[in-house]
Amino acid sequence: MSERMLSVTMQINGEKVGPADLPEDLMLLEYLQEYLNLTGTRYGCGQGVCHACAVIHDAPGGPEVVPACITGVAWANGRSFRTVEGHATRDIDGNVTQLSAVQQAFLDHFSFQCSYCTPGFVAAATALVERLQSAPVAREDVEDVVLEALNDNICRCTGYVRYLEATRDVILNTPGLTTGQVASRDTAT
Amino acid sequence: MRRALLILAGLLAFVAIAAVIVYVAFTGPGEIPPASRDLANLSAEERAEMAQAGEYVARTGDCVACHKSPDGLSLAGGTPMETPFGTIFGSNITPSRDHGIAGYSADDLYRVMVYGIAPGGTHLYPAMPYTSYHAISRADNDALWVWLMAQEPVERPNRPAELIFPFNLRPLLGFWNLVYRPDPPDQPVAGVTAPQEDQVARGRYLVEVLGHCSECHTPRNLAYARKPDAHLQGNVIEDALAPDITPAGLARRGWNTQDLERFLGQGLSPQGVMTFRMFPVLSHSTKYMTPEDIAAVAAYLMQDAPAPTPPEPRPEAIAGNAEGHALYLGLCAGCHGADGEGQPYGSVPMRTNTSAMFDDPLNLVRIIREGIPARHLTGYQRMQEMPAFVDRLSDGELTALVNYLRQRWGGHEQALSADEVTQTPG
Repeated sequence: MSERMLSVTMQINGEKVGPADLPEDLMLLEYLQEYLNLTGTRYGCGQGVCHACAVIHDAPGGPEVVPACITGVAWANGRSFRTVEGHATRDIDGNVTQLSAVQQAFLDHFSFQCSYCTPGFVAAATALVERLQSAPVAREDVEDVVLEALNDNICRCTGYVRYLEATRDVILNTPGLTTGQVASRDTAT
Repeated sequence: MRRALLILAGLLAFVAIAAVIVYVAFTGPGEIPPASRDLANLSAEERAEMAQAGEYVARTGDCVACHKSPDGLSLAGGTPMETPFGTIFGSNITPSRDHGIAGYSADDLYRVMVYGIAPGGTHLYPAMPYTSYHAISRADNDALWVWLMAQEPVERPNRPAELIFPFNLRPLLGFWNLVYRPDPPDQPVAGVTAPQEDQVARGRYLVEVLGHCSECHTPRNLAYARKPDAHLQGNVIEDALAPDITPAGLARRGWNTQDLERFLGQGLSPQGVMTFRMFPVLSHSTKYMTPEDIAAVAAYLMQDAPAPTPPEPRPEAIAGNAEGHALYLGLCAGCHGADGEGQPYGSVPMRTNTSAMFDDPLNLVRIIREGIPARHLTGYQRMQEMPAFVDRLSDGELTALVNYLRQRWGGHEQALSADEVTQTPG
């Protein structure tokens, strides 16, 4: 069955990719790594449980996180995704000039050690920040929504708290993501 | 007119009096055989021996699954059981004086197990499977009593049943028992605490009496009693299908004795993994059974079974249901394999899984929608979590996917309509 091919076109980080003739049972993660050389998205459990492979799917209803290791190109066909390579601002030569707010906060908070899980955390936190832009939450609920959004991501170096604090920090200090009090420098301690 | 009313009142009074007479005269417990041994004068050694045997009776009878507390205290009660008439909660069966069964004699326990009548004459709801336990051997009952009385009491009150009228009237169960409660067998049965040479006879006792399999797997009539002419032929209970486990029904879905032994003993076989209310059966009961008893259960369930004839895969479903095929490849094949081969201890193979084979799509739909939590099976064996797909599939997509699985591996040619798929409960 694996010889059956499928013509696949999708958007990756804002650019159209394909049409490409791919084995119909190819997983999105393998397509990213082996065909497009986008190796930042990580292979962890291979079962959609650890979310090291999480990428952002820009669905009509807003951004959502999907596990690329168990999401096939047959489903990805015709859809739009963002990987960890697509978050920072780049110059015309492709060099990173500015990290995204989430990426910078993860560095500032020393959120990770080995970094294997980081691309997945970036995807989950970024999708949350973008969802809050259209549906802000009360400041007192921020901790809960952050935990809910990052709860599926597994980190073996136990960096959870600093990932959570970094994401909370971004949300509390970005105007428009919360309702109620205007954001002042409300840094995590 | 007045005369007619008088006659009607007279008739009602007659019926009421007759009912009281029948209730008093006929709805009590039947005979209680003498204890298997002198329980008042057990040596410490004999008591320990009986308690050990009684623990095995409790395991094979799966007491804990219903009598544990929702927060995990064994035998403390509170596990809800949903019925069409309301919710019943497992009772506290620790030897607590105020809330449990400290006051029970071994005879009292026998009366509960066999006749469904508690000390003081209260009728139990048949959610307590006394219509199965009715054939328990007196020796098994006595060993169970010794073990129960040796447990730590938990001081926690029982939660009353929440049933709609008139099912909340317990005395009515006396009349139900008149019709539907079987009598104990004429000849004493060996029980699990006694040796039994005949493997099938031991399997029958484990399945029909202690294991009370038919309480879930046999369809029920309007009075919520099991239909004797449809024994073990499958039943929807608590929004899940407890499938047909007759020898013919098992063979149709590819079961053989060896696979059934693996499933019962380890929770996992090519046909699938224990799910819904069957998972507690593994974790509280079957995984503690001896390999010989597991073999006896499988031998009884597969007695005179025809050769296994699982449905042939139907590769034509790939072209015939292109939407379902694309959804399967895109959302399922990453774990279950493009050809349904699965991954050991990660995800079950689809090509031998029975959920797609059932006529009723209920279990398949619920698993796709709700996913399955990660689970410890036996020893170090475990299965990964399956994510829920309820947010990622439209009704049309769910229908296409369910039909694809049924058509490719479930042996079904016809497609179900969107209504048949999406209007399943749960």
